[in-house]
Amino acid sequence: MSTGTGQLELLEREACEAIARASSLQALREASARYLGRKGALSALLRGIGELAPDARAAAGEALNRAAARVEAVASERQAALERAQSERSLAEHVLDASLPGAAPPRGHLHPVTLIEREMAEFFHGLGFSVEEGPEVESEWNNFDALRIAADHPSRDSHDTFFVEGGNVLRTHTSPVQIRAMTGRTPPFRFIAPGRVFRVDHSATKSPFFHQIEGFIVDEHTSFGDMKGVLYAFARHLMGPDVRLRFRAHFFPFTEPSAEFDFSWNGGWLEWGGCGMIHPGVLENCGIDSRRFQGFAFGMGMDRSAMQHCGIPNIHLMLDGDVRVLEQVG
Amino acid sequence: MRVPLGWLATWIDLPVRAELEERLTLAGLEIEEVLRTGPDLSAIRVGHVLERKQHPNADRLSVCSVDLGEAAPATIVCGASNVAAGQKVAVAVPGVTLPDGTKLKKSKIRGEVSEGMICSARELGLGDDPSGILVLDPGANIGAPLSEVLQAGETILDVEITPNRGDWVSMLGMAREVRALFGGTLRMPPSEPVEGTRAASEDVRIAIDDPDGCHLYVGRVVRGVQIGPSPAWLAARLEAAGMRAINVVVDVTNLVLLEYGQPLHAFDLASLRGAEVRVRRAHSGEKLATLDGETRDLAPDDLVIADAERAVAIAGVMGGAETEVRATTRDVLIESAQFAPTRVRRTSKRLGLRSEASYRFERGVDPDGVARAADRAARLLAELAGGTVSRGRVEVRGVAAPRSGEIVLDPSHPNRLLGTKLTTEEIVSLLARVGVQARLDVDNRLRCTVPSWRNDLSIAEDLIEEIARIHGYDAIEPTMPRAALAPVSRPASLALVERTRDQLKAAGLIEIRLMPTLQPADLDALRLPTDDALRRGVRLANPMPGMGPLLCTSLLPGLLRAARRNLSRQVDSVRIFEVGRTFLARGPGELPEEPLRAAALVTRGERASLWEPGSPIPAFFEAKGIAESLLAELGQRAVFQAGSSAPWLHPGASGELRSVDTVLCRLGELHPEVASAFEISAACALLEVDLQALLDRPGEPSRYREVSSYPAVRRDLAVLLASSQPAGEVLDAIRKTAGNMLVSAAIFDRYEGKGIPAGKVSIAFRLVFQRPDRTLLDAEVAKTTERVVDMLGQRFGGELR
Repeated sequence: MSTGTGQLELLEREACEAIARASSLQALREASARYLGRKGALSALLRGIGELAPDARAAAGEALNRAAARVEAVASERQAALERAQSERSLAEHVLDASLPGAAPPRGHLHPVTLIEREMAEFFHGLGFSVEEGPEVESEWNNFDALRIAADHPSRDSHDTFFVEGGNVLRTHTSPVQIRAMTGRTPPFRFIAPGRVFRVDHSATKSPFFHQIEGFIVDEHTSFGDMKGVLYAFARHLMGPDVRLRFRAHFFPFTEPSAEFDFSWNGGWLEWGGCGMIHPGVLENCGIDSRRFQGFAFGMGMDRSAMQHCGIPNIHLMLDGDVRVLEQVG
Repeated sequence: MRVPLGWLATWIDLPVRAELEERLTLAGLEIEEVLRTGPDLSAIRVGHVLERKQHPNADRLSVCSVDLGEAAPATIVCGASNVAAGQKVAVAVPGVTLPDGTKLKKSKIRGEVSEGMICSARELGLGDDPSGILVLDPGANIGAPLSEVLQAGETILDVEITPNRGDWVSMLGMAREVRALFGGTLRMPPSEPVEGTRAASEDVRIAIDDPDGCHLYVGRVVRGVQIGPSPAWLAARLEAAGMRAINVVVDVTNLVLLEYGQPLHAFDLASLRGAEVRVRRAHSGEKLATLDGETRDLAPDDLVIADAERAVAIAGVMGGAETEVRATTRDVLIESAQFAPTRVRRTSKRLGLRSEASYRFERGVDPDGVARAADRAARLLAELAGGTVSRGRVEVRGVAAPRSGEIVLDPSHPNRLLGTKLTTEEIVSLLARVGVQARLDVDNRLRCTVPSWRNDLSIAEDLIEEIARIHGYDAIEPTMPRAALAPVSRPASLALVERTRDQLKAAGLIEIRLMPTLQPADLDALRLPTDDALRRGVRLANPMPGMGPLLCTSLLPGLLRAARRNLSRQVDSVRIFEVGRTFLARGPGELPEEPLRAAALVTRGERASLWEPGSPIPAFFEAKGIAESLLAELGQRAVFQAGSSAPWLHPGASGELRSVDTVLCRLGELHPEVASAFEISAACALLEVDLQALLDRPGEPSRYREVSSYPAVRRDLAVLLASSQPAGEVLDAIRKTAGNMLVSAAIFDRYEGKGIPAGKVSIAFRLVFQRPDRTLLDAEVAKTTERVVDMLGQRFGGELR
């Protein structure tokens, strides 16, 4: 068998053409096998080298190997091209209607008041306030007397307060929690008390139940200025750095001095809550030495803050269990 | 209280209104509303008559060129004879509505265009003078609104008075507050009457039989008055303050009440039998016809004014009809007194009768102003009704009301409480502004004398509030408290509530908050037996109309009603929950138990999404899944048991999750009777979790279990079982039989129908085997599976499909 240069060139060209013609990976594999495989034409030539004169073997072998390498290179290039084409074809085939809706997991919602309560509580948590709770049905002592609300004070009227048969009331504010938290303990105190409260009131803007948050500090030196500082920091946390507060003198039986405070809103003021230095009589009612200890307390509604955060225009919209409203928030 | 500012300005010089309002508000006088009397002149503008020409077609008209502060002057035809060039006048331009309601239009008058109207005082609602146009002050700014130039009518501040400040409820009190805030001098109206020679003590005898109820009673007699209408200025003042003018005597007493805050009463002296006044308790069964035409039943606690025979007035509340001043009255007894606030409050409340007088007596009057008010009224009556004031007052005293006297104030106390750095001098001067005289004693304490009208000041903190108020709350620097670090705590119940809310939200439910009350009928609607614990409701003594009188013993009625409201609003699928307290009565007078509960309700709507399984998940299984995952989240190992004793649940579609012997959750479909009682037609399931019970059994924290690195082997077994066989029992049996190689077993399919014999159901179980220490051998999995299949056959008659 001859291994003439001409024959090798012919074979190489033939192999390259066959490989280039392969239109599928399968055809490519067959063509490769035909020329490069163990039983392929190039292998056959290689096997024939042994029959050559010893001095010609090296040169013939080298030529043969170079030709085989070139054919392999062409084959692998062809293979890459075919694979690319196949992958493009299959990409083109897999098209779904991406505009169909996603399979959303069910989405629940927390109540707006829950959200605002958490946000408020988180702020005070950061300042080291603990949380206290009290019952919603309260004794008149805790809800009124201990807070120096006199027996004939109008707020103790059945027009304002829900009374329970046989005594006790639905708490009208969160302040009784102050009494519970302080009685029998020794300052320093740093507490908040969020919760549900009740008043005999039902109108376009008032609900007979609503939510308040109460906060207070009692120690040996906390001042009215400290109260302003805490409420300012709180307001900025909730409403941003530009909010302003206004403290107006007011009267509460359980604080002295007392104030109501407003926050700036649309060029005016909106009433926010009440605050003041805890009246020494209240401290004494809890068994705390009012000559040694002093402190402030504040309370505010949470409902309006919740409404403001969510843009809900009327309190009844969120206290009626209307899912069309509640699924928009939280 | 209504404060007419023009009137107040006669007492003290006022700052500009915005500043006045601002400072009063900050000082605790909340301004609820600013009212105006008189016409609104803000749309009328000041014009300058540049030129006046005779109207070409009418002798009596002139054509004026008027500068209104705009680019070109307006041409206005005017019929008044007094109009002249150089005048400042009031001009209404087209589009403006005059106080009498006419709306101006651009017009032609006798062929001349008129671009407005020069107004007369009458056209502006400023009086009856029709004689010509209103000529304004030459200094008025051209183009300015007329309301800035003319003081027409009154501006009235409607001020909310806090209940501690009885002294504020008068012009005098407001003037004092203005003085405290802005400085200035009070101008007190004259009060000394010109007296006749006859002594008042000859006209009337006064006695106090109840000295605790009446601290002080002063009588003044004016004889020979002429009853008639009050002069216009007096009527206007009363009207501005929100009162009606009646006759000169009554009006004078009301005027003095408004001036000093001291309520007065005028009796027709001739109708007082025995010419005698006694302040005493009412006799039992005593009645009195009051001025308002009602007959009042009096109680022995009521303080009355009586003559020799009968009650003639309810002290501090309202006078009687029989002794009231009438057209024929000639002689008048003026009563000025200080009654005990609590007595007035009790009587006024008991009778449901509130008056200007009771409002002020309840808050307390100035004991030092009682006589002055009587004097002032006597003087005015003599001036305005032509009477003669009898000589002297008839004054009787009961037990004096407690006075604050002297308060000792450590000068460092205000700074400590307020966080300020006020000097002692500043403190003294701030106190002086509210009439408190403070004197620094040798012990370096301030001895503070409280004025007679400040019955609200009794302890150092009261004075500190005054110091802060006058200094200005806004002038107190905000600071942050200094405190030692201390651990922060929160109640376990709150943590539990918050985790519950989060988990129920994660399950796709919406949180609601409702008034926790219900109707007794709601408990019947839940099918509760008469002795059920949930019947131990706490009853409200004064529920509002339409509100249930019981505090809720269960969250379910509220939840069911909310569901019905939502369904009626065409919400297709309702998924709601509430976390809150319920209320169970204990002994009488005791605070109730307030067990914490969480309850959720899901209804099954139609298939709502493309990706949902073809048939919707039954509501029951959704509720069960929510309950199980909630309890798992809370670290509770609860065992499900089919069936429940809860009467509101469907007996065939209910269950309980229990931990040992405690029921943690009851769930199921609604009993059809309950559904119909609450008018819920949609398929619906609910669950109620006893959070209170969970508080006593803290959940187990999640613990790591070793993850095997060896392959798991899965075996699916489809088993034919009797339809009546609860599959959960079978699953439990599989778990027990399969041994510890089994890492999970689950039901993944259930099929009945074509290809399955009647009365049978095919349940597919998926068993996963794995060992932590080695690869499983096929043979041992096969052996275990065989044991399971044998067991299924023997115990349940199950056969592999």
